[in-house]
Amino acid sequence: MSERLLTKKEVNQAHLYWYLAAETNNSYERLQAPSFCAAMAKNLRKIYKDDDEAYKEALQRHLEFYNTEGTIGAVVVGIALAMEEEKAKGNLTGDVITGIKLGLMGPIAGIGDTLIWGMSKAILLGMACTFALEGSPVALLFPPIFSIMIFVVGRYTCNLGYKLGSEAVPKLLKSGTMNTLITAASVLGLLMMGALSASYVKVSTPLAWTMSSTGAEIGLQANLDAILPGMLQLLAVFGIYWYFTHKGQNYIKLVFTILAISIIAAFFGILG
Amino acid sequence: MTTFMIAVISGILYFLGTSRIGYGISSTLGAPVFLGFIYGLLFGDVANGLIIGASINLLYLGVVFTGGNVPSDGALAACISIPVALQLGLDVDTAVTIAVPFGILGSFVDQIRRTSNLIWLHKADDFAAKGDEKGIYRCAMVYPTITAFFIRFIPVFAVNLFGADAVQVLLNYLPAFITTGLSVAGGILPAIGFAVIIMSIGRNELLPYYFIGFFAVKYLGIGNMACAVFGICIAALMIYRDSKKGAQA
Repeated sequence: MSERLLTKKEVNQAHLYWYLAAETNNSYERLQAPSFCAAMAKNLRKIYKDDDEAYKEALQRHLEFYNTEGTIGAVVVGIALAMEEEKAKGNLTGDVITGIKLGLMGPIAGIGDTLIWGMSKAILLGMACTFALEGSPVALLFPPIFSIMIFVVGRYTCNLGYKLGSEAVPKLLKSGTMNTLITAASVLGLLMMGALSASYVKVSTPLAWTMSSTGAEIGLQANLDAILPGMLQLLAVFGIYWYFTHKGQNYIKLVFTILAISIIAAFFGILG
Repeated sequence: MTTFMIAVISGILYFLGTSRIGYGISSTLGAPVFLGFIYGLLFGDVANGLIIGASINLLYLGVVFTGGNVPSDGALAACISIPVALQLGLDVDTAVTIAVPFGILGSFVDQIRRTSNLIWLHKADDFAAKGDEKGIYRCAMVYPTITAFFIRFIPVFAVNLFGADAVQVLLNYLPAFITTGLSVAGGILPAIGFAVIIMSIGRNELLPYYFIGFFAVKYLGIGNMACAVFGICIAALMIYRDSKKGAQA
């Protein structure tokens, strides 16, 4: 790897702007494009110091369609900076940079949405809810951890991207570290989702029979609990899981379906 | 506190909770559990605010903005439901029930924002052609944020101005099975979040860990914090085991 133009401070500036703006100008036409361009702009000026045309062209290049998860995705900001630097030396063309960006954004969004927004956020806010439901302000410790984590991880991946250039992501994925990390996080995530489902999904049935011989009342819920506690809760979670995997991921339709089922079940006294 | 002041504060809180300035900051400011705390302070009942906030938050634990789409908006749900509930002294179930429809409406508010951003996107194109980096910053951050303020503030302000009275009237007229049904739904809806996360993890061979967590709470009665501690230990063991394997290979 040849001498690098940008200092660590300048790469951090790019990340800071990315962190601040990643979603502010998210539009239907090009999603995070203006934010990506804003993150790049100052350093592009330095890279194309004497070449106004190339500078404008680079700004326009980074205003093209782009969308990914912003935390792990900060690596792409670093990579793009490293590649623009190579382009300024005449080592590659603009469409290679665009191609790499478009190629990376999908897989990175997949990893980032799962690790960061799916698991980390759900676990930390789940812990916050656990304390808050007892009225304890200790709950407030957890949400900021998430915000800070996103900043720190993003800053690290952005610098990593700049250091390794276009090899950063293949290197990251091939090393196996990423795989181990995802598996470990998945285990923690699933364990917590299990615990949180058990505590916070609430379904029970008031159905009951009176034995004609003894006059004793037998509740269906008590019997279900004796067989497998939380059977109805599991049914709710995996019913929805089935719906999402077989009927498509239409969130609003699902919410209305649940509302309808709940009201009908309440009307007939099946759930309550 | 006057209804007018509550409406103004709610509008501002909703803007802050959804402004998305700072990639992860809105996630804290817009979390219903955090908003519950703020409203708790305002109404002098922190414990109750936290409880209502957390109950609403549970509905949105698993909501992931895939592709930038907001499928439902916990911040909007919280900024309307919590002040209404604290003013009327509603119970938690009713508060959660009021939250549900507003959470869905929130996804439309975000659609307005993302459509309005097109204006600034095309302005940014002009600035790029001129090589004006300051213009690009303004189009990426400043203008969209100012627009977002109005898009976020106005609906929440308006609803809060009349919200509590309207809800009171509505609750008086709803038949019992509807309110029961809505509170049943409030108990089931958190399951969406958990199902979404199980799905996005997508590792069926790891599903037993889900059941270990579930039945640890059901049979052993351990708390969520305890489960997190054991979970971190198991995850750490897996990382050590795999990194050792890597060193031998």
